[in-house]
Amino acid sequence: MPGSIPLDAARAALAAPAIALAATFVAFGAACAAAGIGLGWTLACGLLVFGMPGQLVLLQAGGGLSAVPAALFANSRFLPMAIAIAPLFGPWRARTLLAAPFIAVTPWAAGLRSLPGLAVEQRLPWFVGFGLVCFAASAAGMVAGHALGGMLEGGAQAALVFVNPLYFAALIALDLRWPKPRAAALCGMAAALPCLWLPPGVALLAAGLLGGSVAFWITRRG
Amino acid sequence: MSLLLLAGGGLALRLCGLVLARGLSAQHPLIAWATAVSQATLAAFVLFAFLAPSGALAAVPLFARAGGVALALLVLWLAKGRLLPALAAGALPVWWWG
Repeated sequence: MPGSIPLDAARAALAAPAIALAATFVAFGAACAAAGIGLGWTLACGLLVFGMPGQLVLLQAGGGLSAVPAALFANSRFLPMAIAIAPLFGPWRARTLLAAPFIAVTPWAAGLRSLPGLAVEQRLPWFVGFGLVCFAASAAGMVAGHALGGMLEGGAQAALVFVNPLYFAALIALDLRWPKPRAAALCGMAAALPCLWLPPGVALLAAGLLGGSVAFWITRRG
Repeated sequence: MSLLLLAGGGLALRLCGLVLARGLSAQHPLIAWATAVSQATLAAFVLFAFLAPSGALAAVPLFARAGGVALALLVLWLAKGRLLPALAAGALPVWWWG
């Protein structure tokens, strides 16, 4: 039944994806509180930007205008992610643009796995439903983290930050049985090693472009 | 002001991507390339977080981070792909040695 699709998406999100996101945003909320930044800015930054690397660049620069290009560069992966997921929403219509605010790693990774199994008309409602739950989990995490503030230190804060990459590592591991994601993951990791010596904002984009292009070339030839 | 610029820029990147893909099928080379780049970027993000993290995670010894990843993948395999037990197990060494 089409009406239950956003609820199905919400149920799918209200498990590991929401927990991994909330954990990361608890750490972000605590970092904002420790920097003396108010809850309003914290929530606005988390929900309007919704891309942790760029959020962290802006936070570390104290919210200064000069940090915007670097922060935007750190979030430039949004462009290929949006190109990659767009065909999964079916024939292009103006309402496809409603998906835009939710194109971030967690909903994107879930969308790539789940959307092909749904009827075309169900895909956009599913993605928006999933994204809204991700927004809610992130907001709850930021409120909790901001309230905890300085109480959240050392191992607890590190473990919360660690949950997010761990979640993506698990998704990558589950996808290794498919040739194209396996090639992209292995090439991305191989390209990341020499990029470790580049500035942090550039390193991620360089590794993704290099590794992804090599993986694309390998799978096209095969 | 900087927050609005960053948010607007991010939204513009997402909208550009959706518009650029207009009329292209999932098999189109541009879509296949963008998917490979996105997946490679995600893999690189994970590797950077484990090998060269910043912030609170940087204070955690490498063996604890590596142990967390290994434990998470082991539990993921034992639990037949269930994510939550894997995340809980993987976070434990980082919390303990952090």
